[in-house]
Amino acid sequence: MTFCFHFCICLCLVIFQTTVMPYFPLFDRFYDLLAPFVIYLSLFHSVRDSIPVILFFGFVMDSLSGGPFGLYLTTYVWLFVGVRWIITFLHVGDSFLLPFVVAAGVLMQNCIFIGTVAMLEPGSRFSSATINTVGVQVFWAIFTGPIFLMFFNYFHGRWNRWLKKVFVKKS
Amino acid sequence: MVMIIGVIILIVVNIIGLSVSNRRYLSHYGPGRIAIYLIAPFQEVASRSIRFARDVWSHYFFLVKVAKENDNYKKALSPAIEKNTKYKELKLSNVRLRSLLKFQKAITNRALAAEVIGKDPSPWFKTIIIDKGKDDGVEKGMAVVIPEGIAGQVIEVSSDYSKVLLIIDYNSSVDALVQRNRARGIIKGGSEDRCLFKYVLRKHDITIGDTVVSSGLDGVFPKGLIVGHVSDVVRPNSGIFQEVSVTPYVDFEKLEEVLVLLSSKKHEFENKQ
Repeated sequence: MTFCFHFCICLCLVIFQTTVMPYFPLFDRFYDLLAPFVIYLSLFHSVRDSIPVILFFGFVMDSLSGGPFGLYLTTYVWLFVGVRWIITFLHVGDSFLLPFVVAAGVLMQNCIFIGTVAMLEPGSRFSSATINTVGVQVFWAIFTGPIFLMFFNYFHGRWNRWLKKVFVKKS
Repeated sequence: MVMIIGVIILIVVNIIGLSVSNRRYLSHYGPGRIAIYLIAPFQEVASRSIRFARDVWSHYFFLVKVAKENDNYKKALSPAIEKNTKYKELKLSNVRLRSLLKFQKAITNRALAAEVIGKDPSPWFKTIIIDKGKDDGVEKGMAVVIPEGIAGQVIEVSSDYSKVLLIIDYNSSVDALVQRNRARGIIKGGSEDRCLFKYVLRKHDITIGDTVVSSGLDGVFPKGLIVGHVSDVVRPNSGIFQEVSVTPYVDFEKLEEVLVLLSSKKHEFENKQ
């Protein structure tokens, strides 16, 4: 059932990101909405619960994007591994650290993207706009990332309560 | 130590994997088609809902607000104003569709109109999803244009939807020439929705404002389609090429409807049969 919840949330995020957000110029340089979700999975869920969702939606994002196939998959897996590693010695569930974790995740994702483009297209020119885009994304992530994490956590709690109610009624 | 070696091996394998997959556009049957097939219907529904809501908002609620204000002064005129605005919107969409139709008639290839239903999730890559696919006759490698100029080419096709690589993506290449002096080069995607006009020889006199058109030599885009205008020229002291920036005429942020140029030879052949 947790899988269903994760799939629904991810599907909504993908649709929102590719269809709704392009209509709002304000979100022109918004970060990938699945990045905070991957961070949420690595912070609050087990590896067994998270990996299938990450693999599936990495594949979906790779299919919808024009980048090399596997780029999103790579990013999500490394993001997941990185955050899992960080929580072994840092208590990042603390709400004070959450904005920085999301911002670091978004920064890492952008670094992988830019690195891949630079590696596969050696002649690519990176202008100040590139740095600007990364800066804007990190800025957005600091202020909105924790809200997303809390939103995911809150809805997961509600989903669990709803499921309990349904099953108690049935039994 | 073992962990560090393991991580390094993983990174190397990862880089090799990405390099190999970057050449995937050569293959005809990418796994991405399945995901497009699954996600695109949701995108289409969301996209249509947003357009509907936007239309209702801008052409009805706005109108009601205006009509209410007017009601206070000229009650009798409000229905006329309502109709007038409705017609205005119809006229605007009519003009837009007529220009698309006129352009469709002007080009020699058979063209198929398609609607944009989704955009690339990443700001680093420039692709769109359109609501026409294999069942409508769309094939991989077909050119996608609008009256303002070249938009891109189809890179992945599922039964009802296709993915289009825009010319501003770094992976895109279009064989082009300067309309005025026929200087040839390759249009590649650049940053900030601009293109780079690469491999243009230094000997050619290129000035800002020159129009760049497709040469037709790449076998994808028909000859003479507008790409954009030259916005910057840098002639280095050494080297055989000059650095030319081109600003496309197409506003990729406002891309809503496009035309897919169907392979003319194939369709002529099918018609004859």
